[in-house]
Amino acid sequence: MEQLEQLFISQVKEHQNLLHKVCRIYTSNEDDHKDLFQEITIQLWKAYPSFRGDSKFTTWAYRVALNTAITLYRKKSRSINTIEIDNNIHKIDFTEYNYEEEEQLKLMYKAIHQLGDIEKALVFMYLEDKDYKEIADTLGIGEVNARVKMNRVKTKLKQLINP
Amino acid sequence: MNELDLLKKDWNKQKNFPNISEKEIYNMIHKKSSSIVKWIFIISVLEILLWAVLSIVLSDEKQKKMIDDYHLSTFMDVATIIHWAVLVIFVYFFYRNFRNISVISSSKTLMNSILKVRKVVQYYVWYNIIVGLLCMIVIFVNMMMYDNKIKLTLNDVENSDKETMFWVISIVIIGLILLAMSALMWVFYRIIYGILLKRLYQNYKELEKIEL
Repeated sequence: MEQLEQLFISQVKEHQNLLHKVCRIYTSNEDDHKDLFQEITIQLWKAYPSFRGDSKFTTWAYRVALNTAITLYRKKSRSINTIEIDNNIHKIDFTEYNYEEEEQLKLMYKAIHQLGDIEKALVFMYLEDKDYKEIADTLGIGEVNARVKMNRVKTKLKQLINP
Repeated sequence: MNELDLLKKDWNKQKNFPNISEKEIYNMIHKKSSSIVKWIFIISVLEILLWAVLSIVLSDEKQKKMIDDYHLSTFMDVATIIHWAVLVIFVYFFYRNFRNISVISSSKTLMNSILKVRKVVQYYVWYNIIVGLLCMIVIFVNMMMYDNKIKLTLNDVENSDKETMFWVISIVIIGLILLAMSALMWVFYRIIYGILLKRLYQNYKELEKIEL
């Protein structure tokens, strides 16, 4: 195995949770999750020569991951299996089990899957605590507009949960 | 705690993802991508080749004789040179735009660069249709002027009382052929755009809407 390949593989392995999180937002069953994870990994590898190492691997990787999920990935299954979402997405520790909270979270994830691709990207970046400049740069929109759109998405999410 | 705070708290402690091993990652990067960029590239190359091959296939001996008979040799020679020059220019722009697609650019730029690639191919197809139509018209006019059999038929028609009907039927037939060709192209592009680019267009529009 080449040195570059080995370095790439170990970086992906180390930061794979980031990729899984993108897959969690954009897919709703295990097969699609695996599929998207694979496509993101391929796109990361193809773009790896452009990664200079002066930025953090995660900063670089999450842009590639989001672009793959929003633009490049071709969804194979069209149906959303909500039962699978409920079972897979949220497994809470017994020690922390809180029935009401778990129900709320299920609803939240279900609501996220009803959003459009761009809205999902905004939710993802909100959850990842990205600042508005980074959000705007990633999507290619103005910072003020990113802020406005983010507030709208949050409101939409709340409305989806409490119709 | 509101729903969003709860979600964020849960998001940050997520640890129940499958653990992908180094071997699995190695296998993944040696698999073929199934991204829309790859499909757009394949379809675009096929489109360019299809029209290029069509112009070669259609220039057989029989057609060459017909061109001579209709006094179209010079016209066709010039048209062929221009056609191949235009093809080279289109291929250059297609390749340049394709190379500009970068997964590390912003989402909007990425979408825009993919759409630009499609646009070049679209222009190329339109160019071929228009040039094809122009050639058909030139051939049709010269056929009327130089084809002996047609000249005789036209004389007969002129001497009969069915001249108007002859022209109406001729125009309707040509119109139907053009309509059928356009319908075929339309279906072809609906399929390509429907399958590959519908989602991309929606997302691109969504990003543009945010900026309004």
